[in-house]
Order: sequence, then C-alpha cells, then structure tokens
Amino acid sequence: MRRPIIDLAGASRIYDLGRVQVPALVDASLRVDEGEFVAIIGPSGSGKSTLMNILGCLDRPTAGQYVLDGTPVEELDDDGLAFVRSRLIGFVFQSYNLLPRTSALENVATPLLYQGVPKRERLQRAQAALERMGLGDRMDHEPSELSGGQQQRVAIARALVTNPRLILADEPTGNLDSKTGEEVLELFHELNDQGVTIVLITHDSDVGVRAGRQVHVRDGRIAA
Amino acid sequence: MSLLELVRLAISRLGTSRVRSFLTMLGIIIGVASVVALVSVGQGASTGITNRISSLGTNLLTINAGATFSGGVRSAAGSATTLTLDDAAAIGEVSGVAAVSPELSTSAFVVAGDLNTTTTVLGTTQDYPTVRAYELWQGSFLTDTSVEQALRVAVLGATTAEDLGLDASSIGSEITVGGIPFEVVGILQTKGSTGFSSGDDQVLIPVSTLKRYFTGTASTGVRSIGVSVATAKQMETVKAEITAVLEERHGISSTESDDFSIADQTQLLSTATSIFGLLTVLLAGVASISLIVGGIGIMNIMLVSVRERTREIGIRKAIGARSRDILLQFMVEALVLSILGGVIGVLVGLVASALIGALAGWGFVFNPLTLVVATVFSLVVGVLFGVWPARQAAKLNPIAALRFE
Repeated sequence: MRRPIIDLAGASRIYDLGRVQVPALVDASLRVDEGEFVAIIGPSGSGKSTLMNILGCLDRPTAGQYVLDGTPVEELDDDGLAFVRSRLIGFVFQSYNLLPRTSALENVATPLLYQGVPKRERLQRAQAALERMGLGDRMDHEPSELSGGQQQRVAIARALVTNPRLILADEPTGNLDSKTGEEVLELFHELNDQGVTIVLITHDSDVGVRAGRQVHVRDGRIAA
Repeated sequence: MSLLELVRLAISRLGTSRVRSFLTMLGIIIGVASVVALVSVGQGASTGITNRISSLGTNLLTINAGATFSGGVRSAAGSATTLTLDDAAAIGEVSGVAAVSPELSTSAFVVAGDLNTTTTVLGTTQDYPTVRAYELWQGSFLTDTSVEQALRVAVLGATTAEDLGLDASSIGSEITVGGIPFEVVGILQTKGSTGFSSGDDQVLIPVSTLKRYFTGTASTGVRSIGVSVATAKQMETVKAEITAVLEERHGISSTESDDFSIADQTQLLSTATSIFGLLTVLLAGVASISLIVGGIGIMNIMLVSVRERTREIGIRKAIGARSRDILLQFMVEALVLSILGGVIGVLVGLVASALIGALAGWGFVFNPLTLVVATVFSLVVGVLFGVWPARQAAKLNPIAALRFE
C-alpha cells in the first residue's frame, strides 16, 4: 500500500463574518497517495480555492483533521505553517506569481533562501531546475521579458527546486492559450511520471480529465 | 536567512528604484549633514573666540581702579586713581605673579612727518608685552631705564605705525606726541582685532613719561594694573592674595566694599565657552528636527512600498517565508536607507563644515563624537520609522496578499 501524502478527514472551513457564518468547505475528506496525479474540479465559488488554501497550508480548517506527509498541520502556528510550505509543498499559480524585476534564476532560488541554503548551492539547484524546464537559456531574464508559458515554467521550476512532497497547481493553464496550456500540462505529466505527487485545481473538466483521478467539488462539499 | 543575505536582498530591491531610494535618503542626508555641519560650526566658532580671548594675554588678571563714591554719587569705574605705582610694585612681590604692568592712558595728537593721527597714548612699563601678550616686530620695547628716567621714547602699535607711514627703517626717527618730540624705539606686531578694541592702534610710552608730560606728577595713580599669573592653576590664589594686599594697603576692612575690582580672564573664557556650548546644542537640536522629518519620509515610503508589494509579500509567504523573514526584509530595507543616508550625510556635513571653517577662518574642527552620534541617530531613525511598516508587511495574510491586485 502506498503512503498517503494528503490525508484530509472531515475538514470544514467556516468564515466568520461577524453576523453571518459562511461555510466555504464542509466535511471534506480527501486522500492523495504518493505519486498520484489528482485533479480537483469545480466551478468558481464551489469551495475549491478554500480547499486548495487548506491543502497548501496557507489556511487552517476550522474543524476536522489534515495530515500532510505524516505531519498533522491543523495545530501548527503561523511559523509552523510557513515551515511546512517551505519544505513540503511547491505552489504553481494561475497568474504565475513570480517576483517582479527579479531574474528567473533568482526567482527559482528564492524558496531555498527561506530554507537557509547557502548562495552557491541555491544558484546551482535553481539552475538545474530551470534546465529541467528547458529554460537554461532564459535564466537572466526577468518575468516581464518572458512569455506566459515561459513564466509558468519558471514558476514550476520554483515549485520543484525544493524537492517538495507535493506540487499544488491552482489553475496553472488558466492564463495560457490552449497550445501552451497543453505543453504545461504535458510537463506536469512528465513530472508525475518521474514520481512527483501533483494536485491540480481547475474549473475546466477538459484539463482535469487528463489527471489520474478526478475529485469534484460543489457547494463546499467533495462529491463522491 | 543571514544578515548578509538580508542586506544583499535589500540593496537589490532598493536598486530597482534608484531615484525613489535616493529621494527617500535625501531627508536623512540633509538631517545628518546639518547636524554634523552645525555642530562643527558651533565648535569652530567657540574655538575661534576662545583663541582670541587667549590672545589678550594668558592667565591675565586686570585690576581696575574703583569708582569714587562721594555724596551718594558713584562715578564710573576707573575714575578714581586709587591704584598707584606703589600698589603695582607691591603686587609684583606676590608669589605666583609673573609680570605686572601698570597702565595709565590719555589721548593725544600724534605727528610723524606729513602724517598724523589721534590715538591712545598708554603709559606703562617694560612688562607690558608679557602681560598683554604682544610681540615686538621691530626695534626694542621700553626698558626699565627708560621707565626710571622718564625718557621720551615711544613704541607704536602696528596700526598706528601704518597710519603714520612708519616701517622698519623708521626706528630711531622722531615723532611728536601732543606736540612733544619722542623717539620711536619699536613697533609691535599686529594682533588682530580682539572684538573689544583694537590693541594695534596705540602709542606706548613709559608711565613716568606720561605723568611728567601729560597727566601731571602730582599723583602716582594709575588707571589699571595688568597682572600675568605664572600658571593657570594659581589664578584663584593669586587673585585672593592681591585682594588681600590691596585691601591692606588701602586700609579697607573686609566688611567694606573694595575701591578696586579684579577682572579674571578665565571668567570671560568660561562664559564664552558655555555660551557657545549652548549654541552648539541648540543648533544640533534644530538639525535633529530635520532628521526626524527624514525618518518620517522613510516611514512614508516604506508604507507605500509595503502596499505596492503586497503581492510580493504573499508570494514570499507562500513559498516558505515566515513573518519574521518578511519583517526583517523590510526592516533591513529601512535601515539600509537610513544608514546609507547617514553615511552620505556625514560626508556632506564634513565637506560643508570644512568649507565654512575655511571661509570663516577658524579652520576645520573635526569631532569624532559627532560622527558617532550622527550614525547612531540615523540608525535609531531607521529602526524607529522602519519597524511599523515592516510589521504591517509581516502581518499580511498570505491568501489575501496573493489575491491583492
């Protein structure tokens, strides 16, 4: 039996807006094993962003349990969450979220900065990650000098550079044309073939259908 | 993250908006530069004035004849001739007294060839240059012989000599003072203005000669007596001793008021020093206000910067930065701005104070303490005004920050 990377059990996230309580996620349970490629599919407003924030340790569930790679995270403080994000998770966002006016190489090396990796090793690993993404000749370019597809590949390199247990991709093809989006998805599949666990969040079932498993989210609940 | 990494990161971030970074630093630069320059100016002026006061004579006590007090009317100090040449001689016996010069003056019309001037004629003795710190430029000074025999010899101040067209070759020539012929035996070196009166515009003759030809020999009174004390330490004891000697000679009991007064050079010096010390503190205080304004400038820019870079902060948090990392990043940016501004400010301030010192003529006064204070102050400003924006940045919720457009 394979090891679970994500083990979410009965997790809820209720936003307390003072007079009203908004349940964004209700009693969600999800298990993702090592090496899986799971697509979480749902329309906007379905609660998939909330799910993604919780899975990515950017937020804590208000009820239920979340164990990430053996670490129970619902009790961690902010620094603890930052540590988990730094060591276990690589993020890929819809809008790339690269640091502006910063070279591709520096962008990819930044997560290692927060792990306290020395500069020389940082740059070596960042360079290797960029080369793996086929961007060996774009290392000195700033985000504004790169195309959307190239920026997303820099972002994937940044997610990979720490060798995370899990890559969380939030609508990674949302800002790309279909051809480039296809290439990026192809990249995720290649990474998955190499053993990287990937959770992809999307509203587009055409994107989701390519994953090994689909999980549908609707009205804050995970559909069976 | 090491401090070096933080500083490197801060410099590269500040480098991406150079003009803004420079303008932000400008407040600190102006503040620190004005603190350094104004303190230096204050100290330079203080030193300059102190030197000029010292040029009046070192360890100088001046004893002035008191006022006559008759029928309830007090006349001006020095109007009475209560001090005498014998008093001067008695003061000379006091231990610790290096030199004594009795002084009595009048005003006279002085003619040398075609040129003339009206100036002070001061009767004194051979010790006058020692007491009043004069240097002889040409010829010789009055001698004890010339004083004893009341010879008609004159030593001219530098300005008087110039007014009368006399130079080195004029030693031995004849001038008339108040119509009476005198031989020029010496010319004094210029001393510069003391700020009180020009010590260069006067004719010095033996006090005995002055009495014989101008004021009359009836009294032996003098107007003032200059006393040079051997060492600065002895000033107080010598002053007390002279007071005692004069009181005894004048038959004044300790309860009566003295008919003379002793002016102390050190009093003048300490007054001047304390005034300039106060002035320096005042100037530095005014200048520090601009430092605070500069600090507020840094805080303003840092707050704008935190808002502008909300998304960047969100990204950094998502990829593993702790709140502390963000706090330090923005703190160090503020500190780099303020310290760099402080260093540039110190350099500008030093150049400015060197220029002002050169123009004012008191030279370049450099006080290392100013540098330390300015640097520490700019550091404090950086921390003080950097911490709040940095806390704002560190407190940001990563989800909200990532969503920020």
